[in-house]
Amino acid sequence: MAAPLLEPQLLRRLEALALMVRRAVKGQTGGERRSVSRGRSPEFADFRNYTPGDDYRLIDWNAYARLDRYMLRLFVAEEELPLSLFVDLSGSMDWGRPNKAETARRLAGAIAYVALASLDRLRLTVFAEGPTSGGAPYRGRHSAPQLFQRIQSFPAGGTTDYSRLVSPIARQRPGMTVLITDGLGESPVEPAITSLRLARQEGAVLQLLAPQEIAPDWTGDARLKDAETGAEREFTATPATQASYRTALARRTGEIERAARRRGLRFVRLSSDQPVEGMVERTLRKVGLLG
Amino acid sequence: MTFLAPAAAALALTLPVIVALYFLRIRRPTRIVPALHLWPDQIRDRQANVPWQRLRFSWLLLLQLLVAAVLVGAAVQPVLPAGAGLAPHSIVLLDASASMQAKDVQPSRLEEAKREIGAMIDQLGPQDRMTLIAMQSKPRIVASASGDHDAMRRALDDVTASNGPADMTAALSLAAGIARAGEQSRAYLYSDGIIEPLRTAFANGLPFPIEYHRIGVSGENVGLTSLVVRTGAQTRAAYLRVHNFGQQSRTFTVEWRSDAGLIDVRPLSLTGGQAQDLVLPVPDSASTVTARIDARDNFSLDDAVTAIARTPSAFRVLLVTPGNVFLEQALRLRTDFQVDVVTPAAYRGAAAYAMTVFDRFSPATLPNAPFVLVDPPAGSQLAGAAAVGIGRVRASDAGDPLLTNVSLQDVHVARSQDLNTSRFGRALITSVQTPLVLVRDQPFRQVLVGFDIHDSDFPLRIGFPILIQNLSEWMLPPSVPSRSFHPDESVTVVPETGATVVSVVRPDGSRRELTAGSIATFADTDLVGIYTVEQTVAGKVDRAWFAVNLFSEAASQLAPVDRLTLPPARAFPASQSAHRGFLQVWPWIALVALLLVVAEWLAFHRGL
Repeated sequence: MAAPLLEPQLLRRLEALALMVRRAVKGQTGGERRSVSRGRSPEFADFRNYTPGDDYRLIDWNAYARLDRYMLRLFVAEEELPLSLFVDLSGSMDWGRPNKAETARRLAGAIAYVALASLDRLRLTVFAEGPTSGGAPYRGRHSAPQLFQRIQSFPAGGTTDYSRLVSPIARQRPGMTVLITDGLGESPVEPAITSLRLARQEGAVLQLLAPQEIAPDWTGDARLKDAETGAEREFTATPATQASYRTALARRTGEIERAARRRGLRFVRLSSDQPVEGMVERTLRKVGLLG
Repeated sequence: MTFLAPAAAALALTLPVIVALYFLRIRRPTRIVPALHLWPDQIRDRQANVPWQRLRFSWLLLLQLLVAAVLVGAAVQPVLPAGAGLAPHSIVLLDASASMQAKDVQPSRLEEAKREIGAMIDQLGPQDRMTLIAMQSKPRIVASASGDHDAMRRALDDVTASNGPADMTAALSLAAGIARAGEQSRAYLYSDGIIEPLRTAFANGLPFPIEYHRIGVSGENVGLTSLVVRTGAQTRAAYLRVHNFGQQSRTFTVEWRSDAGLIDVRPLSLTGGQAQDLVLPVPDSASTVTARIDARDNFSLDDAVTAIARTPSAFRVLLVTPGNVFLEQALRLRTDFQVDVVTPAAYRGAAAYAMTVFDRFSPATLPNAPFVLVDPPAGSQLAGAAAVGIGRVRASDAGDPLLTNVSLQDVHVARSQDLNTSRFGRALITSVQTPLVLVRDQPFRQVLVGFDIHDSDFPLRIGFPILIQNLSEWMLPPSVPSRSFHPDESVTVVPETGATVVSVVRPDGSRRELTAGSIATFADTDLVGIYTVEQTVAGKVDRAWFAVNLFSEAASQLAPVDRLTLPPARAFPASQSAHRGFLQVWPWIALVALLLVVAEWLAFHRGL
C-alpha cells in the first residue's frame, strides 16, 4: 500500500488554515467566504428600498419608524472560493533530492486540503507538454482522499509548454489560481502568467527548485543530459561555469518573479528540501496566500 | 652549464603525452540536469569530441606544457660553475673548540663556519666526496668520504662546539689517514686559528694541501683565567685573575658567591690588554667559590669560574730514621701530611700510617702499604749488593712524570748499594754503575733508594724536595683531586677503602657510575662547573668535589689568527688541480614550476 500523500497530523494542522483572498469573489454555492452578492449572513452590507416580492422579513422596522419608508437590510452573502491548482509534472520536475515532483504533489495536496476544509471549490490541473484535468471540481473535506489519489496517479515526464496553459486558465471563473512549477522549461512562463491576469485570477506562482540545482555541487567533466528533451552536451564544469549557471538561473527566476508581481500575483521560491509543513505554515502565510 | 642528471631528460616525453591527452576523447559520466539551456553556452570542449581532431588553443594546455618543461629542466639538475676550487675528495676540518662559541659573528663562529661549509656542500659535484672532521680535544670523523648532500648536511648540523681545545695535530693525522694514496684530496680548515700548537712537524708533508678559512672578526673579550683558594694558617682567601683581552676599556661587576650565598659584588674597570688579580677572604663554611663577571662580551664561557674551597684530608706519615733533617723537611713541605718521626728502636709498626719512610733501617717485616726504603742495611730484606762508587746520576726515562721539574744535572752520589740484581721494580734514577732509585706499583706503590741521602749532594738541590713531593703524591694520591681541571681533561679518582658505590654528578645533574674497586679515570669533563664525587662507604655517602674551568688564556684571547703556519703538502702532479664547485639551480627552477602550477590553478578557476 502506497504511503499517504499527507500525514493525518499534517491534515489536522492544515484545517486551521484558510486561503486568503484580497477581494471578494463570486461563487456558485454557499461557502465561508464573502461574495460580491448580497445574501444571508451576520455581516451587514447596505440598505435598499423595498419592492413587492422582497422578503418582508428583511424590512428594517427601525428605519421605517424614522423615515416612514420601507427599507430592506442587505447582508453580505458568504460563498465558496473557486481555487484552481496548476501543478507542473514535467520531466524537469522529476529531478532532485528530494524529488521536486513528489514535493509538488505534497504541496498541492496541502493547499488543496486547506481549500476543501473551507468548503472552497477546487479544480486540479497538472501539466507538462499540455494540461491534463484532474477531474470534476472537488468540494468538501470528504473529497480529499479522492483528490490525493488523483494527484498521485499522474506520472512526471515530458517537456514543459506553458503556452498550452493559456486556454484552460482563460476559461476559469474569477477566483484564485496557484501555479506550482520550477519555471525551467525552455518555453517562457509569461503567457501563462498574463492569462491569469486576464482571467481575473488572484493567486500565486510557487517556484519549486531542488537544492542541487540552486547550488550545483559537482565539478569536472560530464555529459549533460536535459531531463525533459533528452538533449546531451559534453561539458567540463569549473568554478567559472558553475558561477555562470547560477547567474542564468537567477536571471530566469527573476524574470518569473517580476512577471508575477507585475500582474499582481504573489511569488514564492521554494526548495524541495523544505518540509511541506514549513512551506504552508510559514512561507505561504508570510506572503499572505494562507492565513 | 652542466647537467648532473642528463638521463632525466627522458621525462620530456611527458610533453607529447599531455598534448595527446588534449586530442583524445575522454570518458565523461552522464549527468541529468533539469534545464540544459541554463548552463553556459560557452561550454568549452577542451578535449575534442572525436579522436585526433584539430588541436584548439588553450591557456591550460600551454601552462601545463610549461610546467612539464620546467620540471624536466629541474630534473636534469643543471648546475653552474661557481665557488672555490674543489678537489675530488674534500677534507673539511671544522674547529669545534671552545673559542668557536664566540659570538663576534652571529650567531656564533661555529655556526658561521657551518654556514660556509654548507655552501661548500652545495657545490659538490656528482663525483665529489667530502670528509668532515670535527676538531676538538679528541677529533672525530663526522662524515667520511660521502657524496650525499643531505647526509653531509645532517652530519654538519649535529656538530656542536665543545668547551675544550682543538687538537690540530690529531686532526691532521686523522685526515692524513683518511686520504687514500693517489687520491686527489684537499683539506679545508675552518677555524679561528685558536688551536693547540702542533706537536709534530709532519716532516714528510701531508698528502693534501690545506686551505685555511678564518672565522671570526673580533678579539674583544674579558675573561677569568684563574681562581684558586689558598688556606693559610689563619685565613682562607680566593685569588682571581681577570684579564681584558680586547683593545677597548671595559667596566663590569665581579660577583663572588659561595655555596652559602653571595659574598661580594664590586665594580671593576680594565683598559685594553690589562689584567688584574683580585683577592677575597673566603668564609670557613664555604665549600666552593664562584666568581662571575657581567662583561657582556662575545664569549661567555670564561665569564664564570669555580674553585673548591674545601681543605683535603690529611695523611699520617711515619719517618723512621736515626736522624735525617733533609727527608723530614721535605716531607713536612706538604701541608696535608702529618709527619711523625721515630727512631728505629722506637718503631712499633706502621699500621696507623698511610705511608712510611724507612731511612737506613728495615724492619723485619715491611708494611703491606706504601713506603720509601732508603739505604736498607746490608743483609736486610730488599738490600742490594755491596756498595759501589757512583758519581753523576741521570734519569732512567727523562719523560717520566715522577721526575717532572726534577733536575738531576748537578746531582752526584758518592756511593750506593748495587741494585743491578734487584727485582724491586723499574729504575727511576740510575747511574753508569747501578740503578739508584727503583719504584714499583704492585702490591703497593713503593720506592727503594740505594744510597744514603747524606752520601749525595742531592738534598742540597731544589730537585730533592720536588722529587719527594712527586713520589709522595704518586704513592698517596688524593681520593678526589680538589683542584680545577680543563674541559676534556681526565680526572683520576681513587675510591676510598671500602667504597661500594662511586659515582660522579656532572654540573648538568647527569650521573656517571665508576668502578668502585679500582682507580678510575673520569673523562666526561666536557662541561664547566662543579663535579661531585659521591662514594658510599659503610652505608654513608661521602662527597668530594672538583671543578672544571676553561682557564685558557689561549682560548680567551679570542682574536682570530689571520695566518696559520700549516704543515706543507707533498708535491703533487699537475693533473691534481682542483675543479670549480657547482651552483645548483634546480631549486629555483622548481620554484618557477610551482608558480606556474599556481597560475594554472588560477587559470582553471577563471575558466580560461
